[in-house]
Amino acid sequence: MPDTRDSLEAEFGVMACRAQIRIWGLDDAAAQDAIAAGIAEARRIEYKYSRYRSDSIVSRINAAAGSGARIEVDEETAGLLDFAAQLHVQSEGRFDISSGVLRRVWNFREPRLPAAGEIAALLPLVGWQQVQWLRPHIALPRAGMELDFGGFGKEYAADRVATVLQDAGARGGYVNLGGDIRVLGPDAEGQPWRFGIQHPRRAEEVIAVLALAQGALATSGDYERYFEIDGRRYCHLLDPRSGWPVQDYQSISVLAPLCLVAGALSSIAMLSGAQAPAFLQSQHAAFLAVDQAGRLQHQGV
Amino acid sequence: MAATDRKEGLGGILLAALALPGLTPYTAAAENAPEHAVLAFKELYYHDYQSGLQRITVNAPSLSLSLPMGTAWGVESSVVTDSVSGASPRYYTTKSGASHMDDLRTAGDVKLTHYRARSAYSVGLSYSTEHDYTSRAVSLDGRWASDDNNTTFNAGVGYADDSIDTENGAADNESRRTWQGIVGVTRVLTATDIVQLQAGYSSGSGYYSDPYKLFDNRPDSRQQETALLRWNHHFKGLRASLRSSYRYYHDSFGIRAHSLGEEWVQPVGNSLAWTSALRYDTQSAADFYVDPPASGSFPTLPDGAYSTLDQRMAAFGSLTFGQKLAWQASPHWNFDIKGEYSVQRAGLRFIGNGSPGLDTFYWYAVQLGIAYRF
Repeated sequence: MPDTRDSLEAEFGVMACRAQIRIWGLDDAAAQDAIAAGIAEARRIEYKYSRYRSDSIVSRINAAAGSGARIEVDEETAGLLDFAAQLHVQSEGRFDISSGVLRRVWNFREPRLPAAGEIAALLPLVGWQQVQWLRPHIALPRAGMELDFGGFGKEYAADRVATVLQDAGARGGYVNLGGDIRVLGPDAEGQPWRFGIQHPRRAEEVIAVLALAQGALATSGDYERYFEIDGRRYCHLLDPRSGWPVQDYQSISVLAPLCLVAGALSSIAMLSGAQAPAFLQSQHAAFLAVDQAGRLQHQGV
Repeated sequence: MAATDRKEGLGGILLAALALPGLTPYTAAAENAPEHAVLAFKELYYHDYQSGLQRITVNAPSLSLSLPMGTAWGVESSVVTDSVSGASPRYYTTKSGASHMDDLRTAGDVKLTHYRARSAYSVGLSYSTEHDYTSRAVSLDGRWASDDNNTTFNAGVGYADDSIDTENGAADNESRRTWQGIVGVTRVLTATDIVQLQAGYSSGSGYYSDPYKLFDNRPDSRQQETALLRWNHHFKGLRASLRSSYRYYHDSFGIRAHSLGEEWVQPVGNSLAWTSALRYDTQSAADFYVDPPASGSFPTLPDGAYSTLDQRMAAFGSLTFGQKLAWQASPHWNFDIKGEYSVQRAGLRFIGNGSPGLDTFYWYAVQLGIAYRF
């Protein structure tokens, strides 16, 4: 008789990241089916919200920018747009899913600072407040504007995969999509899983270990894509209001009940600069932050 | 400062997320913030110390003495067997971090591991492609630990199907199929000794030539045998560790190779560790290796005869010396300096003559490391 206390683990690639699922509570065949369904769910979200697929909902919205056309979106997309709108308000404009156009001048493959004029020319295309969003219709008023769900797509997928696995009967385990982790429940002995938090300056090392039996953990850092000029690091986390990278923290990890929330809070905290701890406290979030001097700050962990 | 002045009990962003459908199968999950968060500074320090000595530190006394036997075995075995991951007690399960781009853009792979109390089983599938090379592989692995956790056995089989199609036309839709098998045992002999024995065999058929080299025509099948013996011994009195290894390799091309390695890791005081390493390699040439002519023209070979000028297929010996000093100046600062020097020449071959046309080959490397920890 199969022991459902055994756990099954799968590693795979999705959204250009390494991903991992580990579950227990099902017999082998059911666990494999559940994992296959989980991977399929992650791929579904990847395709649906990819900027690189011309038939994705995001590409259709972006293609209609400036044309006056309103695009009708499905229920799931509408929910995410509502969430994005909330993030924009609560972050005072720091979290903005229309800021992706700044990538046109910030190319992290080569160390080059954009000229002031280049950023100024793009800033009019950035700003959720300009977006005409009236459920279920959306329109981008200016040609060249773009929406990008990359700011929370992976975290949303981690939560959705977790839901699929739990609906399939998994009793514990976790989902890790490129470092964004959602826990389904403790291991078969009732013990929490132990998650290392990556060292922001040394990729092979961890700075701390957190034991989690439920909830989610997401980390945002300045080490994902960046370049350095004259000892200053310019990372991919751009403040949409100025068009310039943030420079106050090396990384911020946040614990929350949902990965979507942990991810949004860690991103907004990074974008909040020196106010990151105050912001996270206002959101009642447990966090672990590494400031530019490499000092550790934490609350609730 | 509107964002930080808000006073929602749950956090406004969490409330906003909870409005999304399909994210919370358990209603309880919505309210309970994670309860079991524990920050493990102690293990952070542990890792620190390990990193300063580059994966050898697990032999250092402070560590091996602080760990119970079963765990020490686990840590050791994960260090000495590169193929073992997951099953041995890692001190964290998985990592949280900002995402790294996956370099294998066109690659897909899935590995499933099934864990039981004293064993683990994995099945892996992979696919990768480069501009002139495509590889598909499948593997099965298993590892089993004894009841006292002092002995672990591992076995695995793999099959790979590669195709080579170069733009220069040398290899046109060529393919290669390879079966591989490996068996091994790792055993804790005493509290200060761990040994490991691994044996591997692979058998392949298909295209083995180097499409980018002239006069390169190799047999269309290759069988390889390897045996690896490692022994780590810790000297309690000296607080030092000796890591010894011997590797034997033989293949059907006629290459027979032996490697011997020794590393001595000596802590000095409480903050310094000195590592001295010496490695000796010797190998015979492939049966069809042709020495590059010192002068004149390339020897005439019968039509269809096997040949290669690849230096790696020649007969030679090499010696590599290494020294490393690691200094943990404070809990925050780590410094290390490492130097390696290697000489590879025909005359260093242990038995028989090396390939006369082979130039002596030297390399050295110096590595400096400075690390600040918090």
